[in-house]
Amino acid sequence: MTTSDDTRLTMQEDSHLAMQGTIEALTTGDGSEPVVVNLGPQHPSTHGVFRLKVTLDGEIVKDAEMRIGYLHRSMEKLAEERTYTQNIPFTDRIDYLAAMSNNLAYCLAAEELLGVEVPPRAQAIRVMFAELQRVASHAMANGTFINDCGAWHTPLFHMFRDRERVLDMFEMTCGARLTTNYMRIGGVAFDLPDELLPTLEQFLADMPENIANYEALLLENEILHARARGIGVISPEMAINSSLSGPVLRATGVPWDLRKANPYCGYEHYDFDVPVGEQGDCFDRFLVRMAEVKESLKILRQVIDTLPDGPYLADLPLHARPEPGESYARVESPRGELGFYLVSDGGPAPYRFHCRPPSLINLTALKEMSVGGTLADAIVTLGSIDIVVGEIDR
Amino acid sequence: MTSRYDATAAMEIVNASAPGAACVDEGVLFLDPEQLADSIQTLRDSEDSDLIFLCNLTAVDHELHFEVVYHLQSLDHNHILQVKARIDDREDPSLPTLTGVYHGAHLQEREVYDLFGIRFEGHPDLRRMFLWEGFPGYPLRKDFLQMPGQIRAGLPGFPHESQENAWPVPGSVPQRPMHPNDPQGPSDVAVTEESEDAS
Repeated sequence: MTTSDDTRLTMQEDSHLAMQGTIEALTTGDGSEPVVVNLGPQHPSTHGVFRLKVTLDGEIVKDAEMRIGYLHRSMEKLAEERTYTQNIPFTDRIDYLAAMSNNLAYCLAAEELLGVEVPPRAQAIRVMFAELQRVASHAMANGTFINDCGAWHTPLFHMFRDRERVLDMFEMTCGARLTTNYMRIGGVAFDLPDELLPTLEQFLADMPENIANYEALLLENEILHARARGIGVISPEMAINSSLSGPVLRATGVPWDLRKANPYCGYEHYDFDVPVGEQGDCFDRFLVRMAEVKESLKILRQVIDTLPDGPYLADLPLHARPEPGESYARVESPRGELGFYLVSDGGPAPYRFHCRPPSLINLTALKEMSVGGTLADAIVTLGSIDIVVGEIDR
Repeated sequence: MTSRYDATAAMEIVNASAPGAACVDEGVLFLDPEQLADSIQTLRDSEDSDLIFLCNLTAVDHELHFEVVYHLQSLDHNHILQVKARIDDREDPSLPTLTGVYHGAHLQEREVYDLFGIRFEGHPDLRRMFLWEGFPGYPLRKDFLQMPGQIRAGLPGFPHESQENAWPVPGSVPQRPMHPNDPQGPSDVAVTEESEDAS
């Protein structure tokens, strides 16, 4: 018995030493051949069907190339066959984690073409649901980001608890939780149900304590700092030149938020700040999202206090034919600048329907962010950009 | 609020450095495709226009010609400018790339190449993005082969406007042309017959 135990111990030591040697050889990268590793299409770090092909020298990323299109549904072509109203459900499925923002951006573009005046109550309801959607989407983004950093599912499920309450509010208002199809051209589909405002009040009352708990758990967390500080850094100049937007751009210190720069739906009446980062690294993106949730709650408080009465939908026929022309409307979605470019030829369907997807364009600088770091850092960087593959591929 | 940058002022900025490279048609700035990258670089670097952010890049198929549409934004002055370039050659449409001016054009130009077949000369990595190499045709062109399951191209009108616009009854759909990606019907039938013979 003793002999075999000794042997086993020696073998363990041997394998341990061998592994250490391998790790040293890998991390120094001396004399090793480049290795190509495919992350995905099915991989927990890619958050969907997305393939990142990285070339490694040791553990250092030398090249990163993304392969996308696994979720391509050709929505821009399909939308040319359907009326303006029939296209609203498509926009839910473009970014299924921020369906309300997508509904809103498309409806704004269609309203610009049709010249529709949206009633004040509808505008306030739109702001309410766009901000609730931001809370839900950032809960998902931060939760999965911390997952990528190694905190296996505990913070994620705490944040999912908040997201679940937001989705419950969507369900009681429009019957759907993810693909909401709630906004309409000229307003929203239904008025607020009676039970929504008390639920929302309770949510707003509970959230500050929840956020304080997350901050106590995460902001000083050494592991999170070690994994995310100084990783995936991008300069403000490069971020602007790469057309990055949303929290990824604001983390570099550029205070560019379309809710301030180009207010829509009456955002100019609400008092809120635009949180910015300093270093443009993964941790700053996380901090910006955490701070944006607090700002969204501030906006929601003001929306409830100033919610006007009146119609929730403009008087507009379903069979609307816009004049020939074009429109480009954009909103600040949780992921960045979400724009819809519509061209009308006077027909019942858009002649051209284009979505400017923030998830795809924020990936432009992925190579610059991840080359030179380790493979583990590339995964954290990808998580910090907060992509939704449905929006990348459309 | 974001204001619209005056297209005439932009035209003057471009024409000051490259005479004749820009013209304004119905309030929209059109740039000469030959000098597109240089013209947009002038607009980016000019202090007056300061269009340092490429918001959006896409194309529209106008059946006889293509239009590539750029939305350029100034963050400091908070104005936006829409720029268009017109391509008349439908056989081999091409434009100079903007990747040297805006890195953000990289993926958006690849998308336009993938779905419209417009080549961007000088692009460092011009490959198809959503579809695979060898996919027949470019789907967002108006003359693309009818897609599987599609009943007709475009939407002529609302059903209540004319009898011709009525939604088709399921099962009464006319035969659509064969698509290169369709499974080959006759060969499938032949296999079934052989297996029946064998049994």
